[in-house]
Amino acid sequence: MMRPLSRRKFLALTASGLACTPKAMVARAAANTLTAGQLVDRILQEIGATADPDTVDTFKAGDPSTTVTGIVTTALPSLRVLDDAVKSGANLIITCEPTFFSKADKPTPPVRRMFPPTPNASPLAPSPPPPPDRVFSAKDAFIREHRLVVWRFSDHWRLHKPDPFSQGLANSLGWSKLIDRSNPAQIAIPETSLAALVSHVKKSLQAQGGMRIVGDPQQRIRNVALLPGTTPIQTSIEVLPGADAIIAGEVREWESVEYVRDTVALGGKKSLILVGRMVSEEPGMQLCAQWLNTIVPEVKTRWISAGDPYWRPIA
Amino acid sequence: MSPLTAGEVVARIKSNLGIPWRNTTYRDTFKFGGPDTVVTGIATTMFCSYDVIRRASEAGCNMIIPHEDTYWNDHDDISIVDRDQAYARKVDFMRDHDIAVFRVHDHMHAQRPDFIYVGCARALGLDSKYETSPQSHHFTLPRTTLRDLAATFKKRLGEKALRVVGDPNAEVSRIQLGVGYATPTINSPDVDVVVSGEQQESDGFLDSPAYVLDAMQLGIPKGWIMLGHSISEEQGMLEMAQWIKSFTPEVPVQLVRTGEPFWVPDSLEKPSKKAR
Repeated sequence: MMRPLSRRKFLALTASGLACTPKAMVARAAANTLTAGQLVDRILQEIGATADPDTVDTFKAGDPSTTVTGIVTTALPSLRVLDDAVKSGANLIITCEPTFFSKADKPTPPVRRMFPPTPNASPLAPSPPPPPDRVFSAKDAFIREHRLVVWRFSDHWRLHKPDPFSQGLANSLGWSKLIDRSNPAQIAIPETSLAALVSHVKKSLQAQGGMRIVGDPQQRIRNVALLPGTTPIQTSIEVLPGADAIIAGEVREWESVEYVRDTVALGGKKSLILVGRMVSEEPGMQLCAQWLNTIVPEVKTRWISAGDPYWRPIA
Repeated sequence: MSPLTAGEVVARIKSNLGIPWRNTTYRDTFKFGGPDTVVTGIATTMFCSYDVIRRASEAGCNMIIPHEDTYWNDHDDISIVDRDQAYARKVDFMRDHDIAVFRVHDHMHAQRPDFIYVGCARALGLDSKYETSPQSHHFTLPRTTLRDLAATFKKRLGEKALRVVGDPNAEVSRIQLGVGYATPTINSPDVDVVVSGEQQESDGFLDSPAYVLDAMQLGIPKGWIMLGHSISEEQGMLEMAQWIKSFTPEVPVQLVRTGEPFWVPDSLEKPSKKAR
C-alpha cells in the first residue's frame, strides 16, 4: 500500500496536473482516513482566529468521528442540496446558514417562551415540548439515513482575510481583477448605468425573484460597495457616502431602504441593489470550496448552489 | 377659537384610543417639532420619508403622524445619523416648513381593532367572512394555487416587488396574515401561506424561506409571500386618517402614501412618485 502523500507533495502533483491520474486517485483514497472532527480542527487552525465563544460554528448533525468521503459547501443546506451532495458521494456538508431553519438550529422546532405561560405557572417551568413537525422530522431522518455530518462555517469563515464573502461576490460579478485585496468590499468598475448594472448582477448571480432596487435606473455608477449577508443601518451610513451603489444581501427596510430612498429624494446620486441574503452569500461559499481544496487535498470539495428562493408572480 | 396645537392632537389621540397610554414607549413620541406647533393639517403616513414630508407640506399639512421611523432606525437615535447629509437636509426642510412629527406605532398595534391589520386585509381582499375568528388574522379562502393567490395580491396592491417562496402549483387555502416585521412563522400546522411585510431571511427564530424550500421538496403545500414593509402597513394609515379626522374637525386630515420604495429588474421603471 502507498504511503499517504504529504500535503506539499500532493499540492505539487495537483499543480502539475497529475492529480487526475490513477496513481493520484489511489493516493487520495489511501489518505482518506480524515474524520469530520479532524477536518474542522484543521480549518480552524488555518483560519488562525477564534470567533465569539457562543459562535454558531458547531456541528449541527451527524457524528464528527465519521470518515469524510467528500465535502460540499453551500450557503443553505436545503434538502435539495443535501440530496445532490449524497448523489455526488459527499458526506460532510459545510454551510453558511442554519440546517434546521433557526439560529437555534436543532432538529426539533423552536418553542416560543411565554412569560408566564399560564397565570399560575412559574416562569422557570420548562417549556412544553414542541409539537412534531413533518419538515424538521423528514430532514433529520434524511441526514441520519445517509449518515451525513453538517458543520456550520459562518463566523470563522468571515474572519478569513480578505473577506471571502466580498471577494467571492466580486469574483462572481467578474470583477476579480478590479479588486483591491486589502478591501474587496469597495470596487471601482468601468462606468455604467444602474439599469445595466442591475441586469449584469441578475445574470451573474442567476437571481430569480429576489432582487429589489432603490434608485434611478439612469444613474451613472463607478464606485460599488459590496455588503453580502445582512447589514445594519450603521454600516450603510458609513459606506454610502463613498459609493455610487451598494450591492447588499439583506437590510432592514425601515433602515437602509428608507435611508437610500431619502438620499435619492434629496438629490443624492446613490442606489441600493438588494439581491437577497442567501444569494449574496453563495459566492463566498463557492470560494470556500476552492480554499478547502487547497487545505484539504485528501478529499474532494465542491460547492452546490442553493439558488434564489424567491419568485415573483406575473400580474 | 384658539388654534389647534400638535399637543392637543396628541391629547385627543390618547383619549380616543380606548386603551391607556403607555408612557414607557420610545416609539410613540415627537420626532420633530413639539406640542406647541400650530397645526394647519394632519397627514398620516407609513414612513416619514423626505418625499412624504414635502408632499404633506405642499398639501397644507404640517403635522405628520407616521407609523414608522423618521431617522432610519427604530429608536430614531439621532447619534447614528446626524453626520449624514441627508439627515441635515431633511431636518432643515422640516424646520423651514414648521413641521411636527408624532409617531403612533405601539398604540396602533395595541388598539382593537388594529387599523394596520384592518387596512392590509381590506387591500388584499381578505374579507372578514373568511376570517376564522375575529382578530385571529387567520383566513380560510376557497382553495387556489399559490401562483394565483400571489398574482391576485400583487394586482390588488399594484406593487412591483412582491416576493414569493414555495411551489407555485401548491394548493392552498389557509392564510395567516402578518404586517410589517411582525411576520408569523410558517410551520403552524393550520397555516398554508404566510402573507406579511418583511422578515429576516435566515438565522432568526424560524427561517421561513428555508423551511418552505424543504416543504416544497417534500410535497407539503406551504407558501411565503412578502409584500414589503411599507406596502403591508401603509394600507391601514387610511383607516388611521379617517379615525383622526373624526376628532379633529378643525383641520384637514389625509393619508399621504409613502409608496413602494423598490423597482425590480423585469420592470425597469422608477417607483411612482404620485400618491395612489
